[in-house]
Amino acid sequence: MHALAVGDRQPNESATYSPLAHLREAIERAARLLPSQGPITVFISQNTLQAFEHLPFEEAVKRGAQVFGHHSYLSEDRFRHELARGRIRHADLLEALAEDLGTGAYDAVPGVGTRLDLRMAMLQYPLRTGPAEELLWFVAETDALRKVRWEASAADRSRLIAETRHWVLRDLRGGNESSLAGAAAREIGGAPAGLLGLLDRFDESEMESWSEAQWEGLTLQMLWRVCCDGVRGIPAPDSPRAFHLRHRDLLLKATGNDTDQLVHDLLIKFCAAFLDQGLASWPLPGRDRGFFAAFRAVYRQAGGPPDGWLWGLRKELARLDAAETSPVESVRESLELLGVSPFHWEPFIADTLVALRGWGGMVRQVEVRGDRVPRPIAEGSLVEFLAVRLILDRLAVAHVASQSLGYRGTLADLRETLRDHAQFDAPGDEQRAFQMFQLAQVMRLTPSELHRLTTAQWTSLVSEIEAFAGIERQRLFHLAYERRFRTQALDAIALHARQATGRPPAPRFQVVCCLDEREESLRRHLEEVAPDVETFGTAGFFGVAMYYRGAADAHFVPLCPIVIRPQHWVTEDVAGSAETTHRRRARTRRVLGTASHRFHLGSRGFAWGALLTGAVGVLASIPLVARILFPRLSARIARRFEGLVQAPEQTALHLGRRDEQPGPENGGLGFSPDEMTSAAERLLRDIGLTSGLSRLVLLIGHGSNSQNNPHNSAYMCGACGGAAGGPNARAVAQMLNDPEVRAQLAARGIAIPAETWFVGGYHDTCSDSITFADWERIPPSHRDEFSTAQRDLDAACDRNAHERCRRFMSAPLKLSFAAARKHVEERADDLAQTRPELGHASNAICLVGRRELSRGLFLDRRAFLTSYDPSQDDDESSILARTLQAVFPVCGGINLQYYFSSVDNQGFGAGTKLPHNIAALVGVMDGAASDLRTGLPWQGVEIHEPMRLLFIIETTAERMLRIMDNHAGIGQMCRNGWVQLALVHPASRAVSVFQRGQFEPYQPRDAALPRAASSVDWYRGWRDHLEFAQLGR
Amino acid sequence: MPSVDQVIFWLGALVIAAPTLLVAQLGLASLLDAKLSERTINRSNQTAVVTGLCAAAAILALMLLTGSRHVAIDFGTWIEIPHFHFSIKFVFDRLSVPLAILSFLLTGTIGAFASKYMHRERGYNRFFVLYALFLLGLVVTSLADTIETLFAGWEFVGLSSALLVAFFQERPAPPKNGLWVWTIYRLSDAALLLAAVVLHHHHASGEGDFDELLSIGGFWPEGHTTLAPGYVLPVGLLLIVAAAGKSGLVPFSGWLPRAMEGPTPSSAVFYGALSIHLGAFLLLRASPILESSHWLGLTVVAIGFSTAVIASLTGSVQTDVKSALSFACLAQVGIIVVEIGLSCLLQWPWLRYVALVHILGHGCLRTLQFVRAPSLLRVYRQLEDAIGDRLPQAAGPFDRFAEPIRLWLYRFGLERGYLDSLLLSCFVHPFTRAFRWCDALERRWTDLLTGEASRESDKVQPFSGSLEDLT
Repeated sequence: MHALAVGDRQPNESATYSPLAHLREAIERAARLLPSQGPITVFISQNTLQAFEHLPFEEAVKRGAQVFGHHSYLSEDRFRHELARGRIRHADLLEALAEDLGTGAYDAVPGVGTRLDLRMAMLQYPLRTGPAEELLWFVAETDALRKVRWEASAADRSRLIAETRHWVLRDLRGGNESSLAGAAAREIGGAPAGLLGLLDRFDESEMESWSEAQWEGLTLQMLWRVCCDGVRGIPAPDSPRAFHLRHRDLLLKATGNDTDQLVHDLLIKFCAAFLDQGLASWPLPGRDRGFFAAFRAVYRQAGGPPDGWLWGLRKELARLDAAETSPVESVRESLELLGVSPFHWEPFIADTLVALRGWGGMVRQVEVRGDRVPRPIAEGSLVEFLAVRLILDRLAVAHVASQSLGYRGTLADLRETLRDHAQFDAPGDEQRAFQMFQLAQVMRLTPSELHRLTTAQWTSLVSEIEAFAGIERQRLFHLAYERRFRTQALDAIALHARQATGRPPAPRFQVVCCLDEREESLRRHLEEVAPDVETFGTAGFFGVAMYYRGAADAHFVPLCPIVIRPQHWVTEDVAGSAETTHRRRARTRRVLGTASHRFHLGSRGFAWGALLTGAVGVLASIPLVARILFPRLSARIARRFEGLVQAPEQTALHLGRRDEQPGPENGGLGFSPDEMTSAAERLLRDIGLTSGLSRLVLLIGHGSNSQNNPHNSAYMCGACGGAAGGPNARAVAQMLNDPEVRAQLAARGIAIPAETWFVGGYHDTCSDSITFADWERIPPSHRDEFSTAQRDLDAACDRNAHERCRRFMSAPLKLSFAAARKHVEERADDLAQTRPELGHASNAICLVGRRELSRGLFLDRRAFLTSYDPSQDDDESSILARTLQAVFPVCGGINLQYYFSSVDNQGFGAGTKLPHNIAALVGVMDGAASDLRTGLPWQGVEIHEPMRLLFIIETTAERMLRIMDNHAGIGQMCRNGWVQLALVHPASRAVSVFQRGQFEPYQPRDAALPRAASSVDWYRGWRDHLEFAQLGR
Repeated sequence: MPSVDQVIFWLGALVIAAPTLLVAQLGLASLLDAKLSERTINRSNQTAVVTGLCAAAAILALMLLTGSRHVAIDFGTWIEIPHFHFSIKFVFDRLSVPLAILSFLLTGTIGAFASKYMHRERGYNRFFVLYALFLLGLVVTSLADTIETLFAGWEFVGLSSALLVAFFQERPAPPKNGLWVWTIYRLSDAALLLAAVVLHHHHASGEGDFDELLSIGGFWPEGHTTLAPGYVLPVGLLLIVAAAGKSGLVPFSGWLPRAMEGPTPSSAVFYGALSIHLGAFLLLRASPILESSHWLGLTVVAIGFSTAVIASLTGSVQTDVKSALSFACLAQVGIIVVEIGLSCLLQWPWLRYVALVHILGHGCLRTLQFVRAPSLLRVYRQLEDAIGDRLPQAAGPFDRFAEPIRLWLYRFGLERGYLDSLLLSCFVHPFTRAFRWCDALERRWTDLLTGEASRESDKVQPFSGSLEDLT
């Protein structure tokens, strides 16, 4: 499982070769394989296999599987289950297979028909395999040689038995067989001795009175014998043999002892201490001096750990100290001592880093993005981490090799010695025979037919089978799985778009939400509740990238996509009238905060702990019982008390800047009028809301708040960098209400009617509540309309909660709207709830275009909806280009993160949440100590269908191709197949699909979509994914 | 009109019966492979806990009302042979009733927590079977009036705890750590069993009843032991070993952080709050024995104190929330043990009440902290917002010490006092080496005597055969 070819550059290729520079480069390249997930408090969804994004998807996942040892597709069993329940249809599978094989589909394969037939059978029926011993056991001890596989139809089974019977009685016993040219016959001199020997065991005279079961047994035994004979002597496939670079892998193979266990035990503790952002009350001494120096200082002291393998550590560190070896020199020295040639440096380092990738990746992330943590670490920390790791590796390997093998030589020669000890298996005759044996039963192949194959035919048959091994079959299944969904989605859009009627005339109010697929249902329900409302979707930071600090916050938080570094700072200021209250409450909060922090520390300490636990400990049973048994009630009581010390509600954002240059201090806060106008203009143009503005426009950011959830940030707004987007909506609303901004906008061609008023709000996607900021500033003329709008939104929230509840197994299907709302509120407040909400699970589509394409279409909370009006774009499609530049990384990243976390949750994901343990305040470990778990937890991806995001964009093929050419990132994702792409022509509404490098027209398979009166009529009583449907009468 | 004693008897029977029936229901269903729904499990669990809790509370109320300090419930003698009888007997006194109530309260609350937390987890049924077994073990242990009854409860707790640590059996670390916990528990079980044997041996009638052994001249905490002086030291030491193993005292402390492999609720209630106190409970129960010898009292104080010191040092450098909490927990258990030791050493029975209150308070607070452990990031953020700045962090203790000493102490904490390494290198490895040496010796002798390789098992393959043999 080595990672060669991340960059296969040869050393010594230039005259000015410097080993250390080469080494640094090798480390740098190897480090790209580490997870790019930063501290868990800022959870950004990114492509898990970002390191391979330059490769086509299918190749990349294969490489990813090799390097990390995880699955890159769902398992075959899972796919077959999907086939059985109709999620994948046979027709999809056949089409996907035929398309994949192209012209080779109908090539003949000896004995079995065409290649298509063979592969289809291999997909439909599970082929078990395993180590030779296991297979032999299986054949000997189970019914394998007595009963035909249950998957074979009754007719096939009868035919198989009847023909064999015929063959035995007529040819084998009658002696006709010697004239046949069989592989077995030729090898043993004309007579199928093996088969005849088999027959000899039975009393031939009784054969005629044999029962069906006895013939079945004989048939299978003959089949097994023929398969065994047939595969014998066929050369092994020249697949690349697993080549183990690390000493640890070889040692593990040879002795069963894992040196990584020893090393990681120590390294995890030390990494956590080094990265700790304030969990331990006693920080690592000498942390500022860097990983390497701190490690040497701590472990160089006398009287160290008594573990045998660490006995040499002190001496080794003292030697490094004395020689003043730098970290990178130490890495080089370790590699030399381990006998790794410069040619193998990079793959060796990659494998070494990948072994503890969670912690290694976090060292890397904290090193690179020090601005995201309170306690940054020095540059070069990853190299130091590697240096320490290699020293420990050396000690552990030497120790284990001498203990279990009695090895006394140098580490450099160890690998050669170990390669003799370790055994590597290629597929043997047993595996091949067993595959053929299983296939024959479902492909109606009789022993006699197989017996007649020549050696050459057997060879070609076996190689055909082996060419379609595990991951290839999964890939095909995956294509069919996606194909089925793509057909449904494109049918839905193509058919629905034909009936589109344009924007609603004179909407009562307009709502702009985040493009998040969780807002799809909110918008749909709002439009159902209030058909005279228009909704839009855009990236949830609303074009305002800023560092933001609320009135009661301690720090600035970046609110914008992760790729942007904000240039502006905004604070929330308390209005003058409430200033005294604010100061008083802030003081109270500080006192309470300090006290509870002291309590927090004290209860863990020695003397204070005794006093506190003894004196007031029993009182803890009250919140304990209350919060667990009555979560909603106790949360409400707690909020009531918190309300007494909260920052006052009369606040305003500090948006207008006084100084020339932006900065986090007084005069630097805020935006200049020009900047505000640009942000506002960009938002309006992006979503196409440059005309027809209603009297009230509501801008709603979103976030999510839940208890006891280290992954809370993952449920927040992705476009706000894993934080809540309420302040962005509020800021842009305030900008758009600004007369100066409006005047400038008018000059730039966007006339905002004087009676239009913007209000910013915040949607909590967990408890489904919407709150508005600055509502007290709404002009009296708009108050009534605003109240009505609020009522409509509230009703939409109830329904949205109701729709979400259908996916929660613990919520009864018969809940009323109001009860559903209570249910989701309780989920948000419940300490015991591991699924406060389901996040982006089930996301599958990203629609970029006018709302009319999807309005009135039930998209099952599966579609990111980005508003874009092609009729307002210029010839260069500059609006679309900049929209896609934001949408591709955000939505594509979310989708791919969900993809990998759900295909192998234990590997690429974070596993189940239940044993998670917050470490160093940067991530979670499983249980007592483990590698840091990156990716998403199982509870979050349980209902996700891993598919690549299907982009459906309203534009023309020429424009899209131009964007793909001009923007490398977008082009790469489309051309390498990391996303699926389809277009809707803005005028004709014709749909085309991007395949094999070009857009091909798409014809809907269905004539019409199912129709339901309302969303709730369509989803009622159903927990699983739903088909798309048209709503309304 | 039944007498008060009769009412207490039936209530007491209810306290024991509720968890027993729960174990029977969940356990039998699992044995018969009848998968119960989450809802059924939760209902049974609630019924059992509420029944048990109410019955125990009623007993407490009755005892307070009548001023009764000691009610024993005898379920009869089950085995009787010369010099030994095995009787099942429970006692309700000032020690057992509060602990039983605490057990029901905390376990019940955590049961409610787990019913949501474990929702849709594959091992849901398994978790609740173990949970029920744990509850039963805890109730039996705290109410036991004979040492063999106590041992039975003790075993239930040990078995269910070890299996819960190994709950996530598909990863290698949990079974490994579960095995570690199990081994330490077995060691402590063995000590307890030996103590029981010695006690039975001592008593001519073969009884292990606490009533008769420990309650001379008053009920807990004032009783004295009837044990002959020659028996006090061995029995006392065995009990101390048993308590040390179960409560993670020095030198066995290493198992506690390892026990954090299980799901959060089980870590919380089982190791953080309840079973960790069982050792202290045993010492409280046996305090009349410990009281009879200064050496025992001193040993208890020394073990408790060193545990508290090492645990608070270690706890201060831990960088993951569960380890930090488990060492904080251990520090308090150490202090509780010191309190018990002092009460024995100084003959201050009232100090035992302090220890008991300490156990109760510590159990509740720590359970709350464990259950909220995943909230840590949010809590820190809220605290920072309230304070308006980063949380203050001291440079660490021992500032006045020279740097080498500070570094040494830091590493000592980071490596958790080397306790596990020491156990491995001082006990486990010599132990296995000794047996391997014996094995090698035996092999040499038998080879020599037979004149060839004598051990046939060496050559046996997992499965032998070839393709042809199979038809």
